[in-house]
Amino acid sequence: MKGSIQEVRNAVVDLEIDEIRDLVRTCMEQGIQPFEIIEEGFSKGLEIVGERFENGEYFLADLIMAGEVIKEAMPLLQEKMNPADAARRGKVILATVEGDIHEIGKNIVGLILSANGYEVIDLGVDVSASRIIDTAKSTGARLVGLSALLSTMVGSIRNVVDAAADAGLKDSMQIVIGGACTSDELKREMGADAYGETAIDALKIFNALSDEMMRPS
Amino acid sequence: MKGEVVMNPTERIIRTFEGKSVDRVPTFCAGIEDRTFNEVLGKPLVPNQLLMQNRLAEGIFDRWGPQLCRYIFQPNVTITMAKRIQAAYELGFDSTWGIYDETFTVTDSKTMARFSGSIFNLEPDGYGNMTYMYRCPGITSREEFENWPYWPDIDEVAHRTYMFYRKMMARYGEKMCIMGQGAAYGIQESLQWAIGFERVPLWIRREKDLIDRYIAMCEELCMKTAIALLDAGVKIILQTDDFAFKSGPFMRPKQIDELFGPSYRRIINAVHACGGKFVLHSCGDNTMLFDTFISWGVDGLHAYEPTSNVDIYKEKKLHGDMVTMIGGVGIDYLLTDRSSDEEVVSKVKELIAGLGPGGRFIIAPAHSISSIPAHKLRVMLDATQRYGAYPINIS
Repeated sequence: MKGSIQEVRNAVVDLEIDEIRDLVRTCMEQGIQPFEIIEEGFSKGLEIVGERFENGEYFLADLIMAGEVIKEAMPLLQEKMNPADAARRGKVILATVEGDIHEIGKNIVGLILSANGYEVIDLGVDVSASRIIDTAKSTGARLVGLSALLSTMVGSIRNVVDAAADAGLKDSMQIVIGGACTSDELKREMGADAYGETAIDALKIFNALSDEMMRPS
Repeated sequence: MKGEVVMNPTERIIRTFEGKSVDRVPTFCAGIEDRTFNEVLGKPLVPNQLLMQNRLAEGIFDRWGPQLCRYIFQPNVTITMAKRIQAAYELGFDSTWGIYDETFTVTDSKTMARFSGSIFNLEPDGYGNMTYMYRCPGITSREEFENWPYWPDIDEVAHRTYMFYRKMMARYGEKMCIMGQGAAYGIQESLQWAIGFERVPLWIRREKDLIDRYIAMCEELCMKTAIALLDAGVKIILQTDDFAFKSGPFMRPKQIDELFGPSYRRIINAVHACGGKFVLHSCGDNTMLFDTFISWGVDGLHAYEPTSNVDIYKEKKLHGDMVTMIGGVGIDYLLTDRSSDEEVVSKVKELIAGLGPGGRFIIAPAHSISSIPAHKLRVMLDATQRYGAYPINIS
């Protein structure tokens, strides 16, 4: 790996937002392809940030900042990339379930997923099951992340699962849940496909699901 | 001491803060919200959801919300806050959280804007009452910061805070110890609500002057309202500021200390200089922050949420002689309709046995009382009366 990509990676890990654009420009001037900068610089850097978050060295604010560092330089790369590369990992629909308006966790997950090559379709808060399914149909997205904070609204997760089944999408759609009131047990109870406790969990889960979907059958 | 001295609630609480012996483990509750206080005090003739959620009222509030706020919504909230205190008194708590909160405006029938920069939804609570729930930041750019139309007149807020608490103190005196808060919510959480959680890390780096101005404004608001409370006769200031989530602090403890520590130190020093005590309520897993809070000079800490990863018994060993611990009783399950009375009694006994010896412990629900049956609070209080007498004797 070229030293300049290592510097990009270090800047992500050290949350150096003021340096990242210059470092990315240097990489591009050296002929390094945008895709490589994203994979080896951004994603690998974010992996290290995630590890530090999991072992308690970094905090949620650091996780957000790492996403901001990547966002800062992404436009430079996007100018040189074809759209398929920018969303190479696929499309993800994110929504806070119907009846719930909390979106902080969802937004952080969106930031991290965007920085990792996903096209994030953020439907916002208080989103009905029918809107999620309509969006999945119109965009072709088959990865769905549902956020719920209020324990009184967990039934809305079930509504999405049921609506996906009614629309004939259950087998092709993967529904991941997260948020304060969710758990692995709730995932089973609601018939969702995966549960993530943190934004880094969510990234790992979506990466695994995306790899699975892209694998030739 | 058992059976020899029966203290009044305020004396019991203050002595606990001072590490002195008391007759039994004292009790505290945070805000008792509408469902529960209606159960204790009797339901209003017309539920406020009905008053607010009809086509006529919605049309009026959509058209004249800000103009009517001062005369309808703010007084209504103040009545609600007074009812919370009254319900705690009727139930028999030794102490409760009082908050005076007229620092908002209603911009339309579904929207409330806090003076400190955040936007909330006005929503029914499922029991016929209206409540509010955080919607989004009100300030997302430098321009919006400079042009935010609702920054408070701090001196006026402090004066109104004084008037409210003077009334409360005249009503309750030492019969119940009100741990009071002025109009400001915590400095850190207000900042997060105002500019948005996701924006905070970037603004700390890029818009530090705005962050500093915001913190200074909140500090002044907290400081002046705290002094107003003490002038009104309140003995303990309780400041809510959620620094952590279930997974731990939002920021690095060092960063929290650097950003918010100076303000809190100044406020707490001022409270102490006036002879008051200072309690900080912070939800979530604050394990990594307790040393920081104690270094700021807090006299007590509230929450110790059982659903977070805080180990309250370990904290007793680590910090039990430095700070008064308040909380421990879960509201997510234990105090709900779903638990049994026996489970509540068992938990109270466990907490008293583990945290009562040595004093400096006040048993309390870990959060505000929303959607909690009053019966469960009575069970908790009865169990404390029965098992909480000093010297603690629970096998």
